[in-house]
Amino acid sequence: MFILRFLARRLGQGAIIIFLVSALIFTLLRVVPGDPVRLMVGGMAPDTLVEEIAAEMGLRDPIYVQFGRYMGNVLQGDLGESFVRPASGAAVGGASFDDSTRGERAKVLDLIAETAPMTLQLALLAMVFALMIGVPIGVWGGLYPGRLPDRLALYSSSLFVSLPNFWLGIVLALLLSVKLNLLPAIGYKGFSYTILPALVLAVEIAPFIIRTLTVSVAGVMGQSFIDIARVRGLSRNQIVFRHALKNSAVPLLNLLGVQFSMLLGGVLVIEFIFDYPGLGLLTINAVMQRDFPLIQGIAIVTAAVFVLINIAVDLLATAIDPRLDY
Amino acid sequence: MDRRSFLRYGALAGTALGAARINPDFFFSSAFAQEARPLVFLSAENITGNWDPTAHTTLSQTNIEGFVMGYLTRAPMRPDDPEKVVYELATEITELDAHRLQIKLRDGITFHDGKPFTAEDVKATFEYGAQLDRPKQVYPGGPDTFAVETPDDHTVIVDTSKGGYGASLFIFLASYLPILSAKDVAGGPKGPLSQRLNGTGPFRFVEQRGNDTVMEAYEGYFRGAPKVTGVTFSFVGDATTRMLSLMNGQADVIERLEPEQVETLEARDDIKISRLVSVENKYLWFRCSKPPFDDWRVRRAACHAIDRSMIMEIMGSAGEASSNFISPIKFGYIDLENYPEYDPDECQRLLAEAGYPGGEGLPELEYITSTGFYPKTKEYGELIAALLQEQGFPVKLNVMEVAAWNERLYDRPGGGPGHMVDCGWSTGSPEPDLVLRTHFHSSAKRICGIVDPEIDAALDAERDAPSLEARKESLQTNLMPMLADKAPALSLFTSVLIHGMRSNVDGLFIYPDGQSDASRTTLS
Repeated sequence: MFILRFLARRLGQGAIIIFLVSALIFTLLRVVPGDPVRLMVGGMAPDTLVEEIAAEMGLRDPIYVQFGRYMGNVLQGDLGESFVRPASGAAVGGASFDDSTRGERAKVLDLIAETAPMTLQLALLAMVFALMIGVPIGVWGGLYPGRLPDRLALYSSSLFVSLPNFWLGIVLALLLSVKLNLLPAIGYKGFSYTILPALVLAVEIAPFIIRTLTVSVAGVMGQSFIDIARVRGLSRNQIVFRHALKNSAVPLLNLLGVQFSMLLGGVLVIEFIFDYPGLGLLTINAVMQRDFPLIQGIAIVTAAVFVLINIAVDLLATAIDPRLDY
Repeated sequence: MDRRSFLRYGALAGTALGAARINPDFFFSSAFAQEARPLVFLSAENITGNWDPTAHTTLSQTNIEGFVMGYLTRAPMRPDDPEKVVYELATEITELDAHRLQIKLRDGITFHDGKPFTAEDVKATFEYGAQLDRPKQVYPGGPDTFAVETPDDHTVIVDTSKGGYGASLFIFLASYLPILSAKDVAGGPKGPLSQRLNGTGPFRFVEQRGNDTVMEAYEGYFRGAPKVTGVTFSFVGDATTRMLSLMNGQADVIERLEPEQVETLEARDDIKISRLVSVENKYLWFRCSKPPFDDWRVRRAACHAIDRSMIMEIMGSAGEASSNFISPIKFGYIDLENYPEYDPDECQRLLAEAGYPGGEGLPELEYITSTGFYPKTKEYGELIAALLQEQGFPVKLNVMEVAAWNERLYDRPGGGPGHMVDCGWSTGSPEPDLVLRTHFHSSAKRICGIVDPEIDAALDAERDAPSLEARKESLQTNLMPMLADKAPALSLFTSVLIHGMRSNVDGLFIYPDGQSDASRTTLS
């Protein structure tokens, strides 16, 4: 029953969040300068044609009418069609006002379904790298509060958090790809193309893991049940790995949930630098081209993923620590 | 079900579903494990998605057409011989008289879909490309101004007597519009033309895969199959990303290098640089159909306020000084004696004469430019704005991202947004009319929106001249000086086309419009 109640409540809250995000994005897109129809029909098309097409597409209706129509379609699983992208998925510019390929515009859901796995792969690998960097340093620092490992954890996380990701991306590409020829850097033709951008993202996330773990491990190690474990004769390794880490995992889990959601929605710069064909690159091009349906679709999907990840994280947390009640 | 069981079963179900959908190729496909491989060309500009060559004026897509399509002639357009044409699908072009041009065609050529190339294809292309509703309408008048006869499969006669202009205009246009298949043209703008490219060129269009245009070597190419297996032409928007791709060997050729990138790349042994004076001039366009630039004296005053030598310093190796409205590699170019030079006194005299002494009374003027597409636009835009302000022009510079700028670029009823716009114009033919008529004739105004019967008459006079020599004289002594006086735009400089390529790329010929001939290219 707990599960059902929990899911019903959290999914209901999630639906409200997604609705609000959709309404906000939808409204903002329509009030900022830049007419998408002008981009669609090409600069040389007459104004009358721009207005004619805009009216045909319902873009001159009041915003609440447009939004109602849009949400009606979304509820039926239809996120609409891109304004500018053809079915091939290429990032295109406007052609001409009699562009016959308009009838074959890519479906927003297809574009997202094609690119989301790429970003998911990137985000997962980034999390793995971040954990590989962050967990040893963070735990080590937490086990020796106030001493050298703690200071090293602080310095390294300060260093990592200070490196701008676009700079680090270029430097790592120059070093690992250009100089050492170890890894490909640009585009995507296989798993190896994910490693460099994931590494850059990992350096961005690692400081949060380091700081969270350092603080929570230090806190747990100071609690009385750890002292009792020592009295019970457990070895230090047993205390650390069986008890301290498990109890330190809940804040880390929450952090990872938030970071993972942010990665899925916020890898714009990295995907642009590495020309990595994921959701981030798709978003940048959609914004550049005023591709309203695509921007709205991405916003809805990422908001939904954010909600689902947070529900999963809370469930996991209650599984680790049954005292928690969400 | 308790929460642990729910999580356990949920995770198992998710893993099973995910595993079932995984395609192993998604993970493993090494970029470096390729022997015979296509030439990888990275473009700075995206394409349009409609493959009809008459449906756009987009350079990146024109470059793709250069690999796939065949042309009657090609124009190398080098500064030492800008009028040179090299025969490709044509073997001979003869002026029979002032209004009749005979074109002899190469025999034994087939389109990529297997259809033989004949005179009917040339006729269909000329007639289709001349239709006034085509965005890349290229021939000097509509299709009712000329007639095309095809006495046999390999002879075409163009007769322009109905239009009253010289048939010699078709000589340079022949290297501009690719030859389409008459069968495709018959399908109209919504037919097969828009779905894929079908040409007679060295590479066959295979597919559009995301941002990659995939082409493969065409075995039946009449000059012999290309040495490289194909060309992958990809849009990569970021200049640094393109440069890194070239440096690590993922790309073979990249375009539109910034001057700073040239310095970095020149220091490397594994990369070489190609610099070409391009067909593109960069302009400051005035909105001529609204105040204050509807007065030629204000336009001319603005021109005299701008010190172009300072712009050249900013452009460095990416710009070439020129004093005309067309590039020096176009037919008829001369350095115009009356081209407006930096002259603050003359600027003030003209402003006063126009009723704005010292700029007093001028409205706030919006100068629209872009960033991220052309090199250094923001930097020299700031300079131009400062120079104009120095002379009393109340200029506000508006630097926009490319999509927003593009939306505001063209003329509209009432004059279009802003008062001045920065933009280049580039056409892959020595034919000057493709720039001059497009922009300055009242029937085809694009950006500046000028309507001036004298300019129209001068344009028609050079178009109607009976021979190339007579045209050149009309251009140089009548039209071009008139444009310099009336200044509907100020051509700031001629762009230099800079490509970077791996040093193992041999035999790639680059045209000054960015098209490339890779039919003899090898990757050693």
